[in-house]
Amino acid sequence: MTATATPVRFQPTTSVRPPTFGRTVHAEWIKFWTVRSTVWTLVATVSVMVGISMLAAWGSTIEAVDAGSGPMNTAQLLSAGYQLAQLSVAVLGVLTISGEYSTGMIRSTLVAVPRRVPVLTAKALVLSGVVAGVSVVSMALSYVATMPWRGRLNATFDLTNPETLRMTVGLPLYLVAIALLAFAIGALVRHSAAALTAVIALLLVIENVLMIIPLRAVELISPFLPSTAGRRVLFDTEMLGATDVMTEGADLAPWLGYGVLLGWVLVLGALAAMMLRRRDA
Amino acid sequence: MIETQGLTKRYGSTTAVDHMSFTVQPGRVTGFLGPNGAGKSTTMRMIVGLDRPTGGTVTVNGRRYAEHRAPLQEVGALLDAKAVHTGRTARNHLRVMAATHGIPTARVDEVIEMTGLTSVADKRVGAFSLGMGQRLGIASALLGDPQTLILDEPVNGLDPEGVLWVRNLTKYLAGQGRTIFLSSHLMSEMALTADHLIVVGRGRVLADAPVADVIAGAEGSKIRVRSPRADDLEELLRQGGASVIATEPGLLEVSGASAERIGDAAALAGLPLHELTPFGSSLEDAYLQLTADEVEYHSTPVATTATGMEPAIQGASR
Repeated sequence: MTATATPVRFQPTTSVRPPTFGRTVHAEWIKFWTVRSTVWTLVATVSVMVGISMLAAWGSTIEAVDAGSGPMNTAQLLSAGYQLAQLSVAVLGVLTISGEYSTGMIRSTLVAVPRRVPVLTAKALVLSGVVAGVSVVSMALSYVATMPWRGRLNATFDLTNPETLRMTVGLPLYLVAIALLAFAIGALVRHSAAALTAVIALLLVIENVLMIIPLRAVELISPFLPSTAGRRVLFDTEMLGATDVMTEGADLAPWLGYGVLLGWVLVLGALAAMMLRRRDA
Repeated sequence: MIETQGLTKRYGSTTAVDHMSFTVQPGRVTGFLGPNGAGKSTTMRMIVGLDRPTGGTVTVNGRRYAEHRAPLQEVGALLDAKAVHTGRTARNHLRVMAATHGIPTARVDEVIEMTGLTSVADKRVGAFSLGMGQRLGIASALLGDPQTLILDEPVNGLDPEGVLWVRNLTKYLAGQGRTIFLSSHLMSEMALTADHLIVVGRGRVLADAPVADVIAGAEGSKIRVRSPRADDLEELLRQGGASVIATEPGLLEVSGASAERIGDAAALAGLPLHELTPFGSSLEDAYLQLTADEVEYHSTPVATTATGMEPAIQGASR
């Protein structure tokens, strides 16, 4: 009830613009490159992929068993490290989001972009771009690094061959999908250790164990698990045939298998977006 | 301006915020005072949309926080000094925040300088002390030059120089016409910093009044008044709802009214005053009393008073 002086009307002086999707992506891009762990994970991914390609090439010259019949396909050498590379991009995918929860950064992030879902999309976009880029760089380096052995293996690299093209394009696509799958799980679980355990258990243990359990129900489900389905895009006809003989369930065509993996990514991603909107941060 | 209407937040069976209604006005520092667990942080998180209210509404300048075109220009918030990725440097954290709203790099440098972080701006936040973390949180809150500033326990972990700095900064910013809402469980700090207080306990508003009135409203807070016309003054004050004891001829002890009110009332009535001395109460007393009352309300289901300073006055007149 005390009379106050005429209130001063606040006049801002800093130029501030709305948080558009482009600006959100820009912020996520800066975030990605200003944390050491992501940079080291990328270095590890490239090293693993190039290293294993070299080992595969070297190993094939010693016992030409892997090479199978006919000339060896270089695309197979380039993607030889996918099993380990998928783990490191999965770690990257999980940490991209769970790191924000473990440090509390997520609160700053969501205060800046309160509509929330664009944050998830922007992160997914940056993650996809980086993983695709790193995969292509790794393949290029592997191509150069395996040169000494390729001549002796009589290896060919003909991108006009549809299968070679699929396997070459398939590697970045597969790794991007796995990184996004891990990212979605990280966003749902919100806890680094728990999410990493879940993702690695899924990729390394669950899928591989289920593949060899001789129960009808499991045999029917197994081909549709994310990595089991998606990695078919990396296999040549011979490898696909060998896998189909070993397993009882559906034999998915390579791109269909990849589509199943993308389906997992979309469903888990949509769930993560829904939960992000709904839950307290 | 921040407005809450019946704001409620429940976690399972616990009610953290219980039908809080209040308005935080621009141009002054409003303190949000209450013991730990009173629901201060939850309320502040609901203002910026981090927590979803179970019931009621909260708006900033007439809109829900998320509906603003450029949220960081509307509200700057320090909610938790640890809301920063520990692996990033202070400067990079601010660059990230700035990027979302297209805020120029010059402003990042400006807030770094303003908060005294220049020498540590390129160090990773994981190595920061609590005080440095608070400064970074305040820098982050100031980044968008916001109309409204929400600071949750800003002086926590600051050295005396830092405490003084926050006090002067918030007053200065309020002077520019901004809305300043800061929480604390430290009554002494609030007495020095805030102009207006919202006192809460167990999720409810216990008092919403100018600092002086909250102090004056406390039981035991008395004012010694000496006047040659003490009898007339006594009657006047009783009519105004205060309780008055005539201790000796010409001397009154008044409770339930502030010194300002007594002086104003006497002046209006043309009664001379020879002495007007508040004694026997501090904000601390008022605060302890308010929160004690709150426990009382809780155990006996008396009709609960919603907002305003009624609880304080009731407490005083009982």
